[in-house]
Amino acid sequence: MKKYEEEFENTLSPLVVIEEAGRCLLCEDAPCSSECPAGTSPDKFIRSLYFRNLKGAVERIRENNILGGVCAHVCPTESYCKKGCSRSGIDKPVEIGKIQRFLTEYERKLNLNFVKKTPLTKEKVAIIGSGPAGLTTASELAKEGYKATIFEKSEKLGGWLRYGIPEYRLGEEILDHEINFIKEQGVEFILNSEFGKDITLESLEKEGFKSILFATGNNTGRTLPIFEGKANVEIAVEFLARIKKQQKNDIGKNVVVVGGGDVALDAACSAKLLGAETVKVVALETLDKLPASEEELRIAKELNIQIIGGFIPELVEADKIIFKGTDSKDKIETYCDKIIVAIGQQSNLDSSVRSKKESNIFFAGDIAEGDKTVVWAIKRGKENAKSIIEFLGGVK
Amino acid sequence: MLKKDLSIEFMGVKFENPFLLSSSPVGNCYEMCSKALESGWGGIVFKTVGFFIANEVSPRFAELQKERSSFVGFKNMEQIAEHSLEENLAAMKKLKEDYPNKVLIASIMGQNEKEWEDLARLVTEIGADMIECNFSCPQMTSHAMGSDVGQNPELVKKYCQAVRRGSNLPFLAKMTPNIGNMVEPAYASMQGGATGIATINTVKSIVGVDLEKQIGLPIVNGKSSVSGYSGKAVKPIALRFIHELKTNEKTKDAPISGIGGIETWEDALEFILLGCETLQVTTSIMQYGYRIVEDLISGLSHYMEEKNIDKLEDLVGKAIDNIIPAEDLDRGYIVYPEINKDECIKCGRCYISCYDGGHQAISWDKENREVSVDKDKCVGCHLCSLVCPVKCISKGEIKFKNENENREISL
Repeated sequence: MKKYEEEFENTLSPLVVIEEAGRCLLCEDAPCSSECPAGTSPDKFIRSLYFRNLKGAVERIRENNILGGVCAHVCPTESYCKKGCSRSGIDKPVEIGKIQRFLTEYERKLNLNFVKKTPLTKEKVAIIGSGPAGLTTASELAKEGYKATIFEKSEKLGGWLRYGIPEYRLGEEILDHEINFIKEQGVEFILNSEFGKDITLESLEKEGFKSILFATGNNTGRTLPIFEGKANVEIAVEFLARIKKQQKNDIGKNVVVVGGGDVALDAACSAKLLGAETVKVVALETLDKLPASEEELRIAKELNIQIIGGFIPELVEADKIIFKGTDSKDKIETYCDKIIVAIGQQSNLDSSVRSKKESNIFFAGDIAEGDKTVVWAIKRGKENAKSIIEFLGGVK
Repeated sequence: MLKKDLSIEFMGVKFENPFLLSSSPVGNCYEMCSKALESGWGGIVFKTVGFFIANEVSPRFAELQKERSSFVGFKNMEQIAEHSLEENLAAMKKLKEDYPNKVLIASIMGQNEKEWEDLARLVTEIGADMIECNFSCPQMTSHAMGSDVGQNPELVKKYCQAVRRGSNLPFLAKMTPNIGNMVEPAYASMQGGATGIATINTVKSIVGVDLEKQIGLPIVNGKSSVSGYSGKAVKPIALRFIHELKTNEKTKDAPISGIGGIETWEDALEFILLGCETLQVTTSIMQYGYRIVEDLISGLSHYMEEKNIDKLEDLVGKAIDNIIPAEDLDRGYIVYPEINKDECIKCGRCYISCYDGGHQAISWDKENREVSVDKDKCVGCHLCSLVCPVKCISKGEIKFKNENENREISL
């Protein structure tokens, strides 16, 4: 039986990863590499591996993406690099994410360090939030010599990476290893510091921060009126966060998860791995249109989690929930002692802050537009760093 | 990416790195060489020029495959340059002008002494840094040229003397492997005035036969010809010839530009460790493009960083003394294979190979699909570890034969 605390997927062995790299066609103008929002070039790191230059392959990943190991674990590659892979014309795409994962594990085990360290001589920049966007911006700024400080309201760093993505998909040591790279670059981290409470725009400006980036993410789960005030209902993001904080009690015996995205599947699989007897996922979307990634669905299947598409919740009672079909008169009545709601998230950033038009204030990550994935947060993080540097008069 | 100083002085000329295009289809015109130099190659051996202009066949290549690997070996029927001598001289001149810090080596081939001397003079005039004499192309349509010349030490010496009359530049004599002993022509070239040796050129080959048409490959209007074989498959042959030159009294001091199946930085390093100071590449460029130089440079840089080596020349020849005559090897012990049962996937390949190609020293428990080594029969050949698909067979216990004393063994 698999455990919540153990990685669900094993890293490829050295023999297998060489074989997998051997499947790469080494294309001209490789489509995989134009598909990555974070700007990773799988064609180059796979080519380095293909020609047995493992350290060079690690460098190729690391120089571009300070969260390359995190990405290797959590990226829904079928929507990005793998989607472009020319190998699909023969059989199936190269397992780019798994190769990246092997290389970043190799890097960690050999304690390789290819992160650029620049003396920090330039302006101070405050970053609110230590999720993937905030971390990326801080690292990019440090590479160019800016003094970045990250303010994090929780007691640990990583935002969604720490408190959202479950342990079986992303071990904390992987995140810690990459945050450590950023620490070594000279980025400062201030924990337990919440915007609006412990710090304000005025206090930051007084402390000499020339620019402020809000990378606070969409950290509040949405709900529906029918769930309000119900004792057996828990919001998915809160459920996932408390588990990561080691509060693993009250998982429920028969669990129903409402929603069909990655967060819903994360909650469902976490519940099952932590001892729930039955877990059902009921989504508004039909099965062919589920937003959850391939990997999430595969794990759910392996854990024998039932997924039902095309139903919306109608009524919640003490020990059951009733759904109705989106395009039929069908009803589902299912008995459960725990309902987890995963129907999307929103930012809880004060609208007065959100509407700020001052030129030194920037917004990143999930609170900006784009896909709600880690790799998009990294893309935004890089773009924000570029904008901030331009604002501060540097060239990037 | 990490980039160590890979520069090296070779025959009095400074190279920014040891990686060169060999004289072949990959360095056939200005545009190709320019792209290669922009990709990071340290220099070019421009495709052989001569008064002879090649008239080529179509198609002109064939490959040897093994399981899933293409291009294990590669057969090529191209001869020397197809452009006119004037065009080639102009292209080389422009290359040297546009890339003054890269090394331009002009490969030449004459049909008689006068042509060799004239060609040497002409390429010197356009600014080449170095000359390479092609005594070794195995697919020339004239027997006055190519490997037929390279097999004849007297002719090699005579033509080298002609080249020396035509130029003061350092020059390489490019050797053919289609010969038992390379020392003789190599020594003859040095006596004739050559500064160093480039080796190996391609190996004469028939790479395959079309079974339906019953004609060799590639088919040229119903026929085929013997021609040069290159790629990864010839690397061991090249290394052996280079070692031979580096250990023979007559040739051991000759600088060598190594050629033969180099694809990865590891291949390149093997040539360096056996005494080569520069390296030439064609087949892997034909298969993968000039971009392979990125990982040659990066991989070698990481190796030097790891081994704490600052100068490439410190690696040159480090393995020469570790290859000795068979009669001098220590034959006093057996090292037994050790099978890691936790990693074994129970395929039985080691059992098959040991039975059919070894000494029937691995037993097969059919019921549990388990293998074990019988030390009474095992001779320690390690065929089993070579065929193991998960590489779970390592070197284990050492047994000393008969009167041999217990001692430290370097495995």
